Amino acid sequence: KLQSSISDPMTSPPPQLRSQVIALYKNLLYMGRDYPKGYAYFRDRLKSVFLKNSGVKDPDQIKVLIGRGEFVIKELEALYMLRKYRALKHRYYEKDEATTSATTSSSDKEAPTKTQ
Amino acid sequence: AAPTNILSALGTIAPHRCYGHGVEMTRHMLNERVLLVLRLFDKINPDKLTLESQFAKDLGLDSLDHVELIMAVEDEFGFEIPDQDAERLRSPEDIVQYLCDKLDVFD
Repeated sequence: KLQSSISDPMTSPPPQLRSQVIALYKNLLYMGRDYPKGYAYFRDRLKSVFLKNSGVKDPDQIKVLIGRGEFVIKELEALYMLRKYRALKHRYYEKDEATTSATTSSSDKEAPTKTQ
Repeated sequence: AAPTNILSALGTIAPHRCYGHGVEMTRHMLNERVLLVLRLFDKINPDKLTLESQFAKDLGLDSLDHVELIMAVEDEFGFEIPDQDAERLRSPEDIVQYLCDKLDVFD
């Protein structure tokens, strides 16, 4: 999921882009606290992705990368919402074949039994 | 529910009510708490840690580690530190001084 590349413009001119990147990193860390595979796993991969792009200096490209980071945040929000939905469904309703097949797709990688 | 930071885990001397004023904070206590939070941070070598050590120069932290560190301090003290304040906090001494200003600790 963390294939998006974000940059940390340590040496690029616009300082407001730098603070945007730092804010993005902070938001991603907050989101990563609930990540199914654990905070440390998420944090290590996030950091390596940011460091990989730390050399990017072109402001337009930096904005593209920031956009990708925000997309990742939206994906994580959707993931957590789906997990909560499944947890409550599992707790309060009988297992129903029709709805189970509707809410699990073949591309789902997260275990639906995790209740957090 | 009581806040789950280090201070409440160690047990306070005075009885701690959730909606009460809170524990009387001194600068010495702030030093201890900040240093403890930093020592528990896995990117910091506890042997090299002093109040004056600079995160970037002496402890070898990059700007992303710095973000995480400030988050750990935010969790301990229970309030958010805005990014523009956070980037000025370059050593434990800076953090303690900032907290003294925010928490009205005068000594």
